[in-house]
Amino acid sequence: MEALFFNIDTGFLEAIVRGYKAGTLSQNQYANLAQCETLEDFRTQLSASDYGNFLANEPLPLSTSTIQDKATQTLVDQFNYLRSNSVQPLTKFLEYITYSYMIDNIILLITGTLHERDTHELLERCHPLGIFESMPALCVATTVEELYQSVLVETPLAPYFRECLSANDLDDLNIEIIRNTVYKAYLEDFYHFCTSLGQPTSDVMQRILAFEADRRTVNITINSFNTELSKEQRAKLFPTIGRLWPDGNNQLAKADDMEQVRAACESVSEYRSFFADSGGARGSGYDELAAASQLEDRFFRMEVFLNKQAFLQQFQYGVFFSYVKLKEQEIRNLTWIAECIAQDAKDRIQDYIPIF
Amino acid sequence: MSDEYPSLLRSEQMSLVQLFVPTEVAHDTVHELGMLGDVQFKDLNPSVNPFQRSFVGEIRRIDEMARRVRFFTTQIEKETDVVPIRPLYECPPLITVGPRAAQTIDELSHQLTDYESKLVKLNESYQTLSERTRELTEARHVLKETAVFFNKAQGQSSNIRSSFDDSATPLLTSHDDREGGYSEGGNFDLEFVAGTIERSRVPTFERVLWRVLRGNLYMNHTDIAEPFVDPSTGAETRKNVFIIFAHGDVLLAKIRKVAESMGATIFPIDANVDKRADALHQVQDRLEDLQTVLYNTGLSRRSELVKIGENLTVWQDVVKKEKLIYETLNLFNYDVRRKTLIAEAWVPTRDLTKIQSALRHATEESGTSIPPILNELQTSKTPPTFHRTNKFTEGFQAIMDNYGIAAYQEINPGLFAITTFPFLFAVMFGDIGHGALIFFAALYMIIREKKMSKQDNGEIIGQFFYGRYIILLMGLFSMYTGFLYNDVFSKALHIFHSGWKLPEGSGVAENTGHVYPFGLDPGWHGASNELVFKNSYKMKMSIVIGVIHMTFALCLQIPNHLKFKRKSDLYTNFIPQIIFLESLFGYLVLCILYKWSVDWSKSSVPPPELLNMLIGMFLEPGKVDPKKQLYPGQGFVQLVLLSLAGVCVPWLLISKPYLAWREMHKTTQQGYMTLGNGDEPGRHSTDDDALEGEEEGNGRAIVEEAGEGHEEHEFGDVVIHQIIHTIEFCLGCISHTASYLRLWALSLAHAQLSEVLWDMTLKGSLSPKSAGDWIGLAIGGFMWFNCTVGILCLMEGLSAFLHALRLHWVEGNSKHFEGGGHAFTPLTFDTEGDL
Repeated sequence: MEALFFNIDTGFLEAIVRGYKAGTLSQNQYANLAQCETLEDFRTQLSASDYGNFLANEPLPLSTSTIQDKATQTLVDQFNYLRSNSVQPLTKFLEYITYSYMIDNIILLITGTLHERDTHELLERCHPLGIFESMPALCVATTVEELYQSVLVETPLAPYFRECLSANDLDDLNIEIIRNTVYKAYLEDFYHFCTSLGQPTSDVMQRILAFEADRRTVNITINSFNTELSKEQRAKLFPTIGRLWPDGNNQLAKADDMEQVRAACESVSEYRSFFADSGGARGSGYDELAAASQLEDRFFRMEVFLNKQAFLQQFQYGVFFSYVKLKEQEIRNLTWIAECIAQDAKDRIQDYIPIF
Repeated sequence: MSDEYPSLLRSEQMSLVQLFVPTEVAHDTVHELGMLGDVQFKDLNPSVNPFQRSFVGEIRRIDEMARRVRFFTTQIEKETDVVPIRPLYECPPLITVGPRAAQTIDELSHQLTDYESKLVKLNESYQTLSERTRELTEARHVLKETAVFFNKAQGQSSNIRSSFDDSATPLLTSHDDREGGYSEGGNFDLEFVAGTIERSRVPTFERVLWRVLRGNLYMNHTDIAEPFVDPSTGAETRKNVFIIFAHGDVLLAKIRKVAESMGATIFPIDANVDKRADALHQVQDRLEDLQTVLYNTGLSRRSELVKIGENLTVWQDVVKKEKLIYETLNLFNYDVRRKTLIAEAWVPTRDLTKIQSALRHATEESGTSIPPILNELQTSKTPPTFHRTNKFTEGFQAIMDNYGIAAYQEINPGLFAITTFPFLFAVMFGDIGHGALIFFAALYMIIREKKMSKQDNGEIIGQFFYGRYIILLMGLFSMYTGFLYNDVFSKALHIFHSGWKLPEGSGVAENTGHVYPFGLDPGWHGASNELVFKNSYKMKMSIVIGVIHMTFALCLQIPNHLKFKRKSDLYTNFIPQIIFLESLFGYLVLCILYKWSVDWSKSSVPPPELLNMLIGMFLEPGKVDPKKQLYPGQGFVQLVLLSLAGVCVPWLLISKPYLAWREMHKTTQQGYMTLGNGDEPGRHSTDDDALEGEEEGNGRAIVEEAGEGHEEHEFGDVVIHQIIHTIEFCLGCISHTASYLRLWALSLAHAQLSEVLWDMTLKGSLSPKSAGDWIGLAIGGFMWFNCTVGILCLMEGLSAFLHALRLHWVEGNSKHFEGGGHAFTPLTFDTEGDL
């Protein structure tokens, strides 16, 4: 039945978003970009893509951050177009997408204020998709309680924060805990919202969100090694969704080193390959940092893969989520390549994650 | 061939030429060829990235210049007072060829940089100045508004207290009132923060403050009436003045912090009345000073812009040309050792000498003695299709090109469209009056051609202007068919004596014995059986016209088959098709004509129904009811014709695949390429693929790959293609013939609509007696004219246009058009477009 009535409200937007997706850079274009000698070459090369002349009016010399900002701006413009043309429940769905950016922005502001950075500078660094109007007032707050009472209570994020009101001081560890608690609440809420939308949206989104949850679980575990975070606290931060939940989560909560993390993830065949060679390499003094970054890379690859799969299914909202994520990855790639060009680090230029 | 007079019948013969251009004259050569607009360059390094090509440095420089010119354009556009921009034809041209070309460009680049830096500097100072002005204006507003507020508070408090010491005290009371007698009579000083904030943020600001301070504040705000305009973007922002009273340093610090992070500007305002008055004075004075400075800066900025405006179009032109030139040069192969550029290009064979002389001219201009060398190449590649048009034929050719670009050297349907298109249109639009209206509209556009082509006409008028010659002919032909239908604004013309007269009292007209010499007898007009007669007449006429048009289109196959040396196609395709069409529908047309020629009033049998005859021909072959017989021996003739048509179907279906199969067997050892008819449709499509691939920059390798790959499929392709073609043609013949009935339907609708319009608006008030009648006539006439132009000429005209278009594209072109060519796109500077 969804297929029958889907196009009445969402057919146009799905067409738009699939059109946008057709404009993502191809492997060929990445190869061309990677050959660029200077950022001007980079601009010339990009002007042949869907980005068009988005950098044409920038005076020379270009900087990487300009490229990133402008590329993000194109994504934001596209997203806003989608959002302003959408009807419920898609509007709600699109809003859910922005919540994750709002969480990031809030954490950024709190951390920045904690380290006494300039507020305006912080505001500029916030992701434009996650801006809400009372956001600037965040930097006044000094405790979580105050934060919640003064600003967050009127945002849609308020329910997520209710859980972590007990944390009193704002220090780096606490902020990290808040971030993860909030994100957990967000993921679970989004997951349930998607379930309430019914198939096929729920099918696609549950797959993506479950992976996202698992990724966070693994990351939290790895990052909490050798910190003062207790194991009970750690267990509380794990989202209660995902393919690792509940068995894997329990194992992860007790894990002490990478080996145990690997064992916990063994149960899911897709995740097995993530840890494939890290075990062997560790024996020869391979440092954990590189292993973690490699793992991160594989997670990104998996995310891209899942998001690409979302486009195989029609009549569902997953494409909107996936498009934003894919485009974000593309901007990360562009920034990476541009950075490599700017810093003349040609040997690492191939480390981007191709999308199509 | 090349000395033949240029014609539209086939596309121009093209040659592939190779140009060896010494690097010194390369720029000037391309410039000269671009001015000529007759050469389509091929990309010789498709595998090279855009930024790895030889002239990328120059392009980047031009891009930078273009950016500057764009910057100037936006600056000029943003200026509220219009800055005059001198049109291109009034400017002295900037010469960018010849020995001094490089210098000119250098100078231009410098000039642009200078102007840019000057303008940027002026903008900056203007910006800072207006920023300061804005701040001061805001300060003034804050001072004024707070003063108002304080005064009000004073007035209120005087009711409560008899005396007060300073201006802050009354506020305390008002505050106390709200707080319910908290710390009454205390001697602490209530502090406040004042400033401005964007209006849209006020509610959020208030809410956040309320929550942060837990309600321990008193806030007041008022709107500032006039908006603040950002000088660089021109965006308007509206702001509010706010004043917040709170107690304690901590709270005040919090307020300040929130205010700052919400983008508010805070001003230090003194609670003292006198000090405030002083401050206001100071602000006023400084504001006045600033405004004079701002005015002067604005003036000098404007004069700079005016200077830029004088040359802007020349710069735009030069930059556009230069960019195109270097982009073209990038297509060339660069031979470093010999310092020459090698280009390959398609040119019309006829224009080779013109291009030679252009090359010589370029050499002379640039002041060197080494001329570029032009060398004609032999090639097996399909050249682009180029129809040389003029302003008259352009529109008609565009109609056909929109359907598809004709194959190279195939018969061009655009030529015949010049007469058939307006004619088919006119059959549907036939009315002398309406035809004259659009004829004169087109004539007006043609007379003012020179003026109108220079100005920007907008999209809709521009469309009509582009098709002015089509409209002219459409109008002319419509007047002709209008005479045939004897129809002028739904009325009849009595030019000659009618062949009928209506005796008094009798409902039946009598023949006067003579025949109306041209067109429809006006006697039919208003007759009770007018519609029956006209319908029968127009319906039959549509079929006759349609079959003639289709037969003609089918015959256009012959020159194509002969030209491309596909003799076998004549026997396998053309002959069965024409027999099929003529034995069924050609016969119908003959019957129609014969039936018209017989005087049925003197005949012993009633006139037979042709439609039933046609159906009977299929259902009961060979049998005709003698009562419904059109002529003796009809049954036999129809049987022969039907069996002829029946034979044609398998003939069309099998003969071509059979020939292909025989050829294949005969030449197995020689390979399949020697099929003899090298331009078969099957083969043709692969060629197109190859060409497309080539245009996309995959280079020559693709052509050979495709050449090897398609042989196995060739026979299967021929079979499948022929099956489709047979089905399409046989069914098409029937449906297309029926499709021409739209001529009748549209023509009927047009005539009826114009009659209804006449009856509804003018008919009743044609003989005015009183003043009211005259007014009614005026209103009716006005309405009639507007509806005639709007509905009948424009809307009906568009609909008839579309139907004529369809008849050409579908019914006409499907009979002979091969298409699949690629258009000749020469390098030219004329194209419209932004930088």
